Amino acid sequence: MIQTVDLCKSFGNLVIFKNINITVQKGECVAVIGPSGTGKSVLFRTIAMLEKPDSGQVFINGTDITRKDININKVREKLGMVYQGFHLFSHLNVIDNITLAPIKVSIMKKQEAQKKAMELLSMVGLTEKASAFPHQLSGGQQQRVAIARSLAMDPDIILFDEPTSALDPSMTGEVLAIIRKLARSGLTMMISTHEMSFAQDVANRVLYIDEKGVYEQGTAHEIFQNPQREKTRMFIRKLKVFSYSITSRGFDMVAMNVQIELFCQKYNIDSRKINHIQLVLEELILEVSGEAEGKQQLKIDFTIEHSEEKGEILITFCYEGEFQNPFEHEEEGDNLGMVLITGVAKNFSHKYEDGRNTININI
Amino acid sequence: MNTTLVKSGEYSVIIVEGRVDTTNAGEFEKAVMDVVESGTDKIILDCTGLNYISSSGLRIFLIVHKRMLAKKGCLKLCSLQPGIKEIFDISGFSTIFSIFPDQQTAESD
Repeated sequence: MIQTVDLCKSFGNLVIFKNINITVQKGECVAVIGPSGTGKSVLFRTIAMLEKPDSGQVFINGTDITRKDININKVREKLGMVYQGFHLFSHLNVIDNITLAPIKVSIMKKQEAQKKAMELLSMVGLTEKASAFPHQLSGGQQQRVAIARSLAMDPDIILFDEPTSALDPSMTGEVLAIIRKLARSGLTMMISTHEMSFAQDVANRVLYIDEKGVYEQGTAHEIFQNPQREKTRMFIRKLKVFSYSITSRGFDMVAMNVQIELFCQKYNIDSRKINHIQLVLEELILEVSGEAEGKQQLKIDFTIEHSEEKGEILITFCYEGEFQNPFEHEEEGDNLGMVLITGVAKNFSHKYEDGRNTININI
Repeated sequence: MNTTLVKSGEYSVIIVEGRVDTTNAGEFEKAVMDVVESGTDKIILDCTGLNYISSSGLRIFLIVHKRMLAKKGCLKLCSLQPGIKEIFDISGFSTIFSIFPDQQTAESD
């Protein structure tokens, strides 16, 4: 149904995306997610040829619509688009907004178009608003009319470009319910959205857009439950990350703790958790630097990942050198530091690969 | 970290404030051991203002405890914040030390 081949788009020197290769099969619902400003809307507009690509091709039902001899208006009859900002004609009432296109391109007579429009209004739950003007409707109602309008042409494909981003949270649900209903009906759809639970629920496939292209893609389960790449993981889990490197035993622990505290306060992490984070790091640093003393140069990197969604903290603590698992102390003696770490951690693990020890600790 | 010594009856009360960690454990040890070695045999460590302790700090508590046992003195802790009490519980130190909810209770026990 939709295929892009090496699609590239820039505005002046600003590269929006390059070499995007996407395929959307008939009946698929593909969610496009990613941080703001990564070009999701431009991608949708380019697929609909509302923006001209710099290079590459867009195939709709097997036809390359970037060709100069293509009648793009004819293509758009079967390629609906729903925008963030509704884009209803303010001087036309609801039914006229919906019937305008099918009458204009003569695929329906007025009476037939009005009958179809009323069916669509019934589907989106707005039959009583047929005579209302856009300014008399709420944002959610306007977007539902916009969806009905795009369906009036009986499209093969609809592109939803952040259909709820201009709506209050109270109105988001009513629009998502309509889109969910359309997805179940088997309509081919691409949806760019920031509603992660909706994307997870409704999409057959999810594309994560970042670094000027499709950074990662997979089934909704793969992307939301087990993302493979770092930026996807950070985005999905709403992760905020603090990174720090230690290269000398004489490093400034006081300054490090101040930075950790500032990071944690910025994301409203409570003081008990801040203490646990600092405690785990202090004990690990002491353990690793003590063991490594005289052997080699100290090289420690750690990150603190805060999942705003789950309220969890993951500490990833890496150090180079020989295999050294502090959770497996063989000799008897003072393991007080490790007792404290295992006491405050929800879970912990150690692995050794390519001369690098990595400890993961959840708090 | 800051320590302040006050006399309360027969007790020397050391008020501990701030953090006791690897960066200042030595300083903390010196401040407390100076009191221990000054001839006082009844000490209360008032931890109202102690808001962070790591293993380095706990070890100093243990050193002071052993020293007080050796000289047959009395060491009590009071007013531990919940976060500090949690660390004492995890480390097992709650069973080693005599811990009281406040200074008054510590003195009257």
